[in-house]
Amino acid sequence: MKTSVSITDLATGQPVEAVLFDDVTLEHFLEAQREWRPVVVEAAQRLVKAGEQEYPRHWHWDWSTKEADLKVLAYGFLGIAYEGRLQGLLKLETAGRSGRIDAQKGKPLVYVDYVETAPWNIKLITSALGTAPKFGGIGTRLIEAAVRRSLEEGFKGRLGLHSLSISERFYLKACGMTAVAKDPAKQNLLWCEFTPEQAEKFLAGGAA
Amino acid sequence: MNTKRTMTLNLTDQEMKALEDLSNQKDLSKTAVLRQALRLYQLVDVKLAEGGKLFFEDQKKEKAELMVL
Repeated sequence: MKTSVSITDLATGQPVEAVLFDDVTLEHFLEAQREWRPVVVEAAQRLVKAGEQEYPRHWHWDWSTKEADLKVLAYGFLGIAYEGRLQGLLKLETAGRSGRIDAQKGKPLVYVDYVETAPWNIKLITSALGTAPKFGGIGTRLIEAAVRRSLEEGFKGRLGLHSLSISERFYLKACGMTAVAKDPAKQNLLWCEFTPEQAEKFLAGGAA
Repeated sequence: MNTKRTMTLNLTDQEMKALEDLSNQKDLSKTAVLRQALRLYQLVDVKLAEGGKLFFEDQKKEKAELMVL
């Protein structure tokens, strides 16, 4: 699957057409490690050295370790590229996960295991490096695609994820997900969940 | 999404009843239940092939290892 999605060129404020795809390969993982990780680590180092409490917590992520997951049916990957350059990656699970909101306990959902935007699109990182973020809307487009996957799987838009603390505002305010509870089994990260109604509203652009 | 292919599945009454019950409980179509089953089976198979083990833990936190063929 390859489809055109709109992201925002933050230098001009104008929308540009990027490519959303699901045929993610090891090459994309290697590109993320080669081009993203050094930038994330550099920004994290600067922020930690400056005594900042908020720094990119995903500095140690390694997409290349997920190579074996590419062949597993229960896992799926989505990517966004603009002018041939990777702008975001998402890993999801389509089996073995269920809702935690009372109304959808025991009902399967799409679980977003990892979602990462290229560091040059993250304000926290670009600010630390003295630059400006390049593109906006990458995370939103990826989560939208994950919700659509939920609909395709027959899960009616139900989706759950564990949010890093710096991303909670995005999932709760911009996406309109429900904050369920901190999960002691997952580094005490906040479990956020979409009901079908919230997912529909989010896809319609009414959550923000 | 990838192109889907159709197959005929023959189930006993008991198997069909189990499928219908799961379909109702999980708020899924019968096709989606079977797709879930295949994905979980393959996931477990891959993890076991990698040397992983599959456990169920009861309420007493006692674990029993499952053999999955």
